[in-house]
Amino acid sequence: MLLDYDRMGWLRVALLGFTVLVAAFLLLPVVFIVLLSFGSSRWLAFPPPGWTLKWYGELFADPAWLEAALTSARIATITAMLAVLIGLLASFALVRGHFRGREILRGLLLTPMVLPVVVFAIAIYAFFLRLGLGGTTIGFVVAHTVLALPFAVIPIATALEGFDKSIEDAAIVCGASPLEAKLRITLPSIRIGIFSAAIFSFLASWDEVVVAIFMASPTLQTLPVKIWGSLRSDLSPVIAAASSLLVVLTLALMAVTALLRRKFRT
Amino acid sequence: MPAGFGGLLPALILVTLFFVVPVLALLLRSVTGPEPGFQNYATLLGDGTYARVFFNTFLVASVVTIVTVLVAFPVAWMLAIMPSALASIVFGVIILSMWTNLLTRTYAWMVLLQRTGVINRTLMDIGLISTPLPLINNLTGVTIGMVYIMLPFMILPLVGTLRAIDPMTLRAAALCGASPFDAFCRILLPLSLPGIAAGGLMVFVMSLGYFVTPALLGGTSNMMLAEMIAQMIQSLLNWGLGSAAAFILLVVTMALYALQLRLVGAGRATGGV
Amino acid sequence: MKLIFTGILAGLLAATAAKAEDMVFTSWGGTTQEAQTKSWAEPFAAASGIKVLQDGPTDYGKLKAMVDSGSVNWDVVDVEMDFAIKAAKDGLLEPIDFKAVPKADLDPRFTTDHAVGSFYYSFVLAWNKGAISGEPAGWADMFDEKKFPGKRTFYKWSAPGVIEIALLADGVPADKLYPLDLERAFKKLDTIKSDIVWWGGGAESQQLIASGEAAFGQLWNGRVFALEKDGADVGVSWSQNLTAADVLVVPKGAKNKETAMKFLAAASSAAGQAKFAEASGYAPINTKAKAEMPADAVKSLPDAHVDGQINLDMNYWAENRDAIAERWYAWQAK
Repeated sequence: MLLDYDRMGWLRVALLGFTVLVAAFLLLPVVFIVLLSFGSSRWLAFPPPGWTLKWYGELFADPAWLEAALTSARIATITAMLAVLIGLLASFALVRGHFRGREILRGLLLTPMVLPVVVFAIAIYAFFLRLGLGGTTIGFVVAHTVLALPFAVIPIATALEGFDKSIEDAAIVCGASPLEAKLRITLPSIRIGIFSAAIFSFLASWDEVVVAIFMASPTLQTLPVKIWGSLRSDLSPVIAAASSLLVVLTLALMAVTALLRRKFRT
Repeated sequence: MPAGFGGLLPALILVTLFFVVPVLALLLRSVTGPEPGFQNYATLLGDGTYARVFFNTFLVASVVTIVTVLVAFPVAWMLAIMPSALASIVFGVIILSMWTNLLTRTYAWMVLLQRTGVINRTLMDIGLISTPLPLINNLTGVTIGMVYIMLPFMILPLVGTLRAIDPMTLRAAALCGASPFDAFCRILLPLSLPGIAAGGLMVFVMSLGYFVTPALLGGTSNMMLAEMIAQMIQSLLNWGLGSAAAFILLVVTMALYALQLRLVGAGRATGGV
Repeated sequence: MKLIFTGILAGLLAATAAKAEDMVFTSWGGTTQEAQTKSWAEPFAAASGIKVLQDGPTDYGKLKAMVDSGSVNWDVVDVEMDFAIKAAKDGLLEPIDFKAVPKADLDPRFTTDHAVGSFYYSFVLAWNKGAISGEPAGWADMFDEKKFPGKRTFYKWSAPGVIEIALLADGVPADKLYPLDLERAFKKLDTIKSDIVWWGGGAESQQLIASGEAAFGQLWNGRVFALEKDGADVGVSWSQNLTAADVLVVPKGAKNKETAMKFLAAASSAAGQAKFAEASGYAPINTKAKAEMPADAVKSLPDAHVDGQINLDMNYWAENRDAIAERWYAWQAK
């Protein structure tokens, strides 16, 4: 009864114990960063000699951090919307279409996820320089959308494969137009896939550092580029302060998502 | 136009213009820079140092994949069957760690793992060790840092695979007298294999090309291909050689990818269940 | 499809146009670039009304790619001098317009047709007093595992410094360093290789020493100066300190060449150099600068330690940069 939670006996204890350990492992750096951000040691000694808020003061005194965060948010949002839209269209074609080479095309669309990002970063950097597009918002968005597309296609296509098309057909039989049936029956049914797609493609851009390092210009820096620069050049605990705020932001977003879900349920 | 093909056009245009073309341009550079010919490839394939880097790259990716699968499977298993309130806490932790900036997490590991870091200090205070363990600038550091990053990518699709397995199959097996061990080996594991293969492939190929984490947590003697490519281009200014190395990495990755497509089908190979 | 492509391009191009009067200064980040911003860029902007955008860290690969593609976003770049000499030879740099940049007071050691000095620095031996017993006296002690066990830190990248240190420690006299005996240097380095922690950037070197992760190492004097200012418990030996320079260059095809020259004039002026040297602990390349500095600030400069000081040979390095780099990285990866 390996899949019956209530009837697993000692195995459950062992697996639960292991899961708790892994969860602790996953939490460790996150918690550590937050603690570090309040430590008074300039050189990240831990435990610190004292506690302070000065790194947060420095963070807010430097407008470049906020600017970088906004730039990242802007690029990641546009990227996620584009990737989901393009990915949705592509997924319908890949799952429902009947044409030769479908599998090869699917493989091609997913390649950017497989290809080492450093290869893509160098290639697109050289390419965009030639076109004069290095360091532009649109350049960033285009490059990130390419990278995010697989992360949108996979969950949507998976959800679509699991969706019984006869329900959509039934709606059409009952008088709905094909588009209406898709919008009102199919899309809501695969909304979890779409939601995952949005989150994953947002993250693919938000957290992308390699392409961003090459593409960034003084007028356009994403948050990872700013952090990378700080890591390389001053290693100040301001990085920890900025990261802690991101953690708080994440927690807030997660809380909102949970609340929304509860609201939908009732 | 064949039925249902139209939806693919935007994606194909995007990928062709801004992925295939730039990558082909890079390939061209590997046989033209600094002068036409295949000397860049000859250099790369004929030199023991580069062979070592190739070997290291595969070693690290393999170790990371194996460890990730072993750690992720029990967690995904629990997550698939846990009461949802409990599961959502664990999911929350996973998502929180994923959303924390990659560089910050890696940096946290740098500070945690160093000789004077929290982990070594704690172990020494408890008396488990008397001299600091070498946890950073070596394979151990890279493995810890990369498994940490890869775990969510393995756990999340696996949960889906495991949830799709009908518990009745296992109950039936138990009724027929199968021991839990038998049931695990002959039912649960085979049924989750597609998910393991899919997630494992994803982790392996992502690890092959990883750049930031090995650069920060690994030592110079564990250099991986991606870091070497960046070094060729940034420090040696040798775009020809760097492009050639990039192309070799690309070919190897694509070959593995194609193999996987053959084995389990495109849907499975990339995380679909 | 072509239509879509041109459409996308048009949109993209519209977004790239930066304000023409702004210029971009690129350096290595951290405390050094901060000091450059305060001492050069801000006064320059106040006097001329030209905004100086900061970028970094300096990346030679990017620099070359920009010049090769004819799309140069950087106007003035702080680079290591051996790179500058090599890059000038490879045609990556604009010649300096010495009509716009007064040359008379510039230290000729750090001035070339394609570069003016940014600052010069010394590699010194620094240690964490709490993490080490005794005081290392010179480079040879970095290779003495009996006297000083534990981790030591060196500069990671292939650049003037580590190889010379290994040779000096092995007993090569300072005036016989060049041409470098790489074989001998790597053999010497092999004896401590497993105890070397590499630092890739100035902040990392500071962190390693300050936390005691590495008990001692080869650091830039300015970074040690900043550590001392921060109250870290560090010791420093100037014995056989090795000087090298950073220089300012203008990449070939830079968009704001004339502005860049004006900026170079301000940066290399006695006032700009004095201010920067005081803030960073690095030495000025303008011979008149020291007169404008407070006396105690002059004391912490490399100039105060000329006894036994060794000038790293930038021309030798420029000549052999690629060959050494190849061997360096191959040795490191072993």
